[in-house]
Amino acid sequence: MTLSFLAALINLDKPGVFLHWGVIQISLANVIVIGLMVAVFLLAIFIPFDRKSRRR
Amino acid sequence: MSETTILQRRFNPDRDARPWQGGSRPYDLIKEVTICFLVVTVLVVGLAFLFGSPDDKAISIQTWATANQIDFAQTSISELNGTSGTATYGPPYNNFVGSSQSLGPISLESWIGVHIPVNPAQDFVLGPLSTVANAPNVTRALDVFNAATPSQQLAWETNYATAVSHASSVNGHLVVPRGAYGPIGVMIGQLTAMAKSGALDSAMVDQSGFYGTNYTKSLLYIADSTYFAAQGTAHHLSGDQWGMMNETGNFPGQAWLWLYTFWYQVPPFSTSANADIQVSALMGLLSLLLLLVPFIPGLRSIPRWTRVYRFIWKDYYRSQG
Repeated sequence: MTLSFLAALINLDKPGVFLHWGVIQISLANVIVIGLMVAVFLLAIFIPFDRKSRRR
Repeated sequence: MSETTILQRRFNPDRDARPWQGGSRPYDLIKEVTICFLVVTVLVVGLAFLFGSPDDKAISIQTWATANQIDFAQTSISELNGTSGTATYGPPYNNFVGSSQSLGPISLESWIGVHIPVNPAQDFVLGPLSTVANAPNVTRALDVFNAATPSQQLAWETNYATAVSHASSVNGHLVVPRGAYGPIGVMIGQLTAMAKSGALDSAMVDQSGFYGTNYTKSLLYIADSTYFAAQGTAHHLSGDQWGMMNETGNFPGQAWLWLYTFWYQVPPFSTSANADIQVSALMGLLSLLLLLVPFIPGLRSIPRWTRVYRFIWKDYYRSQG
């Protein structure tokens, strides 16, 4: 019985992509995750608090 | 601490806080926890559907011997003559002297001693071969090997190690040049056949009891091979490739271990034989510093000096003028 319907929509089980910069080696996937974390942090700082609901 | 004592201490903005003079409002913590739980659940299930999870096939002795039987034979003779990585590891596997890591007088491995005894020659080679039934040539080879003097055994092992370094694979068979290695050729040949058939995986796990869930010896055997090291390097999992923070394939790995693995890339750790204990000690020290930030003068003042908090709570500070 084929279970292909259970397969992930995006297959990441392929040879990894790595970035090299001097002594630093990092996978593209890790760069993306770190970038997302920084973006969430910046959004948390810059997005203003919901003042209306606070005054309710 | 009494109220009098508090009043007598000089106010320190890094340590003390003035009583809150502003207003207060009710806060529904249960609501927030529920929303967070639901959001995280949706994210986890959604991302699992989208990306799946790492699914690299496990490497067994059979996988290894089938992919590279020459490497298997070369590793096996190093197990038999006591020169493999496991045989020379020292505690916790054996009493080999001089390989335990230390930091000055501190050597945790030596202090704890041998508590997972592994004898590679017996556990990886002679033991599994002794389980082979209906193979008179193997039984005879084992009898000859066991009856020989240690110096004779060593001579055979040395000669085989030299010969197997020039071995080749012909039509799927291991071909080792002729040499004065006595019964070793038959023994390693049989062991290679066992490995390729999967019998060696079973023989080594079955040693641990009825349920056979202890794979320590098989894993150590595989880890001694150059095949396994090459697999690790190909997946960017080796220590000198920042492997600690990587995952197989294109999956993100343990990015939060960046500082831990960073030290392994730079001197003196990158060239040290005691890198593991040195890096562990350094990270322990840095973690302690982080824990003690509120008590370290200067370091604890950085948030006040940088005034990032005023930016985060800009609405409040703007209203305060």
